[in-house]
Amino acid sequence: MTLSKVDMDELMAPFPDKVVRNRKKHIVQKDCTESCQQIEANTRTVPGIITQRGCCYAGCKGVVVGPIKDMVTITHGPIGCAYYSWGTRRNKIRADDNTPAEDLYGAMCFSTDMQESDIVFGGEKKLAKMIDEIVGIFHPRAINICATCPIGLIGDDLGAVSKAAEERHGIQVLHYDCEGYKGVSQSAGHHIANNQIMEHIIGKGTDKVDGKYLVNFLGEYNIGGDAWEIEKLLEQIGYKIVSTLTGDSAYVNIRNMHQVHLNLVQCHRSINYIADMMETKYGTPWLKVNFIGIEATIESLRDIAQCFGDKDLIKRTEFVIEKELAAVTPEIERYKKICNGKSAFAFVGGSRSHHYQYLLRDLGMDVTVAGYEFAHRDDYEGREVIPTIKSDADSRNIPELHIEADQEMYEEPHIHLKMSKEKYDELVASGKLGNYEGMYPDMVDGGIMIDDANHYETEELIEIFKPDLIFTGIKDKYISHKMGVPSKQMHSYDYSGPYTCFRGAVTFAEDVANALSTPAWKMITPPWDKADIEGGE
Amino acid sequence: MPDSNHTSSNRTDTAKQVNENQCHMCMPLGGVIAFKGVEGSMALVHGSQGCSTYMRLTNVEHYHEPIDVASSSLNEKQTIYGGEKNLKKALDNVRRVYNPKVIGILTTCLTETMGEDLNRIIASYKAEKGEIYTDIIPVSTPSYDKSHTEGFWTATRDIIAHYARKDIAYHRKINVIVPHISTADIKAIKLILDTWGVDYTLLPDYSMTLDRPFAGKYAKIPEGGTSTADIAEMSGGLVTIQFGLTCEESISPGHYLEENFGVPLINLPLPIGIGNTDMFMDALARITGKTMPKNLGYERGWLIDAMADSHKYNASARPAIYGEPELVYAYASLCLENGSVPSVIASGSVHSRLAPALDRLLEESDCDEMPVILEGADFSMIEAAALETGANIAIGHSGGRLLTENHDIRIVRAGFPIHDREGGQRILSAGYAGTLTFLDRFTNTLLEKKHSSYRELRKQELLSKIAAVTETGFTTE
Ligand code: SF4
Ligand code: SF4
Repeated sequence: MTLSKVDMDELMAPFPDKVVRNRKKHIVQKDCTESCQQIEANTRTVPGIITQRGCCYAGCKGVVVGPIKDMVTITHGPIGCAYYSWGTRRNKIRADDNTPAEDLYGAMCFSTDMQESDIVFGGEKKLAKMIDEIVGIFHPRAINICATCPIGLIGDDLGAVSKAAEERHGIQVLHYDCEGYKGVSQSAGHHIANNQIMEHIIGKGTDKVDGKYLVNFLGEYNIGGDAWEIEKLLEQIGYKIVSTLTGDSAYVNIRNMHQVHLNLVQCHRSINYIADMMETKYGTPWLKVNFIGIEATIESLRDIAQCFGDKDLIKRTEFVIEKELAAVTPEIERYKKICNGKSAFAFVGGSRSHHYQYLLRDLGMDVTVAGYEFAHRDDYEGREVIPTIKSDADSRNIPELHIEADQEMYEEPHIHLKMSKEKYDELVASGKLGNYEGMYPDMVDGGIMIDDANHYETEELIEIFKPDLIFTGIKDKYISHKMGVPSKQMHSYDYSGPYTCFRGAVTFAEDVANALSTPAWKMITPPWDKADIEGGE
Repeated sequence: MPDSNHTSSNRTDTAKQVNENQCHMCMPLGGVIAFKGVEGSMALVHGSQGCSTYMRLTNVEHYHEPIDVASSSLNEKQTIYGGEKNLKKALDNVRRVYNPKVIGILTTCLTETMGEDLNRIIASYKAEKGEIYTDIIPVSTPSYDKSHTEGFWTATRDIIAHYARKDIAYHRKINVIVPHISTADIKAIKLILDTWGVDYTLLPDYSMTLDRPFAGKYAKIPEGGTSTADIAEMSGGLVTIQFGLTCEESISPGHYLEENFGVPLINLPLPIGIGNTDMFMDALARITGKTMPKNLGYERGWLIDAMADSHKYNASARPAIYGEPELVYAYASLCLENGSVPSVIASGSVHSRLAPALDRLLEESDCDEMPVILEGADFSMIEAAALETGANIAIGHSGGRLLTENHDIRIVRAGFPIHDREGGQRILSAGYAGTLTFLDRFTNTLLEKKHSSYRELRKQELLSKIAAVTETGFTTE
């Protein structure tokens, strides 16, 4: 598929000049004859221009720490922030061997509900009391405290409150300085959450975890049960997931994450910090995978098997692939008939706009415009640009942890993978380990990559490209509906899912086929107007 | 509320420092909705972008409509140096892209804590720009002070105050001020007013802007809303009917008009239920000197007829009612009229006149068991009270889902937000006809539960018989 050149100036006509100059840098049209042009990302949104971005707190509490099921997560702030991040992402949880039902807090929402007097006199006392009450009532294994905007201003010392509470109660109380105004989007919150989890939870567990192939699954939030599909598949082959981060994850398991042989990374944006830091500290190698899409799932399974290089494992992998494929192919073919040749837009998150391109390709669909809300340049252009990314005032205010190899627990990566140094070096040379190539290589020629797209641009691009379907968040879902273009909500899947692996692809294909064939779209023009058209003027 | 796969144990205790599973939202959210009821308007939330994003999310999940809310997108630096520059930039950009007639600026906890002086910033903006087409209306909405309910009232009052003038010529139009209700209820109230043939201005009228008919085109600012010209005339209106029984005087738009412009205020409960709707009809009769239109009389008759029919079921209901004060009050009186004595009546808000209003209502009714009344409630309190009082049905928004998940107390959905069912904005309860629609949903929810548990009971009965048979050998009765 080749698409014609888009006139950016025309696209942004109503914006003031300064905004046009700014926004042009965030849009790249792919030209196969050239290498990837630089895209601007992870910079401030222009005030008054409505985009889909959330805040640092949303990235920290809403995305990363909220789903940890056996920790009570307290939002320290006025009521709204907590309310709005309450269960909006459908991160599913369930009891398991290590975590009984009474230790699950994922469905609940805790807020200090700050009042005027707390703002004036400070909220530390209220927070401390709240922790005491929560410990008294629920006896959680550990507690998270997430800060919201006003906290930074009134100067509550969350570090001191949590330290005192730890001493009083003998459990870990982690605090996250994730005031909403930090950074430029959710992304800052991911980083802050990664830092705290890395520094204070991972590596603290002492229970030995047994298993021949131990992995962690990072950057998977179990929306609609996605992680459970992946877990089922990996277990069939013989892997054991010690913990995900953080869908259906438990504090007690995260503590033991350092014992794995390999880290698998699904969402690069939100969790690559921990993957990197674990490699430095424990020597754990990491592999970027993608379980969205049938071909992508197959490739990921093969890549993982190659990382261990074990013949039996490879055989079992092929066996499972064949079995699963046979089970879903007829259904996929059926839906493909409806989807084939259609085009789509994808505007979601910091990884999914890339991941879903694979699944759509399985269905014969092309993504003509794709964008992220809160990605960095490396998510578009690949990790090799990381050293060239200039830090600015907004990124500098997120602390970087200085991680060193752990004196006791560090092991060379090849020892983790139980292979010779030579074989490991070969694996590294293949470019798979510790790498992510970004979205650009997978875009169609002439396709548009757009960072932090706003309502206005979305609308214009719909006019230009006339897609058949739009994958987006709920906030702009209904704009496209008003324009007569169906949409699928990709933050919580419109209450559907799971979409991962082989079975998930079928569910997704069915949802997409349904969206494309909604009868209502055919009834827009009433019969009397149709008669007019047919009869001619 | 997440649809997690577990059922948590029956925890009913609440930590009072803790707001656990809250029942109210933040103040600017209510302000945003009020501004959506003004023609050609845009809302701009002054703070970090997260607040405005979250408010859009919550609104869109309920209304299933595009809902644009701009943000001044403050970053760390502005929290120290002030947000003036960002706010002005935001005003520029919103005017450029949307060209709105009105921009409503709502503050957040952040900018309130920073002590931003909106009036000064707006004055300086206007001085810089000269004559501009757009009216800019600031509203102070610190969530650490009040909830979305009060945000709605405050913004509505401030909108009126912005346009109100002493020199407006006295005229015969009446003002109608609605609380935060569904778009269907606004339409129902308008239909009643039209049926009576009165000339009125209803504010805030978001019945079209938040429920747009499909038109094949996307308008950045939707059609509909109360026009600013009409709002400007409200200070010379004949009378104000406000459905704001529970609204505190300090933020009451109707009270503001009465105090400052001498427009008499008729403050009524929402017209939900016979008694409340009668009060509305009575007011209209007195204002217009007309008698009630015939078809409304029929509707009243149909309602009474249906109430008599369904009382045999409704008498067994012990509903837990929760949500915003005005709605909670109206549903409570509707339930009492139908013999469904509420078990719990709860609101997340603390700044309302709900409790005294309910006291009066309950005093007049002669129920034996008094409902538990909770203000500033969260769902851990509501759940505990519902279990204690033996609630067997609930009326309220999606926030109460755990009542069903954990205790099989079914919810007749009403209020805001409704994100786990379709058509939250279309839920109809106002007027005689609206009440009947709602009442049927209520009764049928009771019946559904009864039928489903009836089968379960029968099954158990049969199974126990079979068990008895296998134990004792075959017996003939
Ligand atoms: S900071 Fe205040 S205004 Fe913003 S979301 Fe939180 S409660 Fe609402
Ligand atoms: S106040 Fe800050 S933390 Fe809360 S929602 Fe708004 S931006 Fe996010």
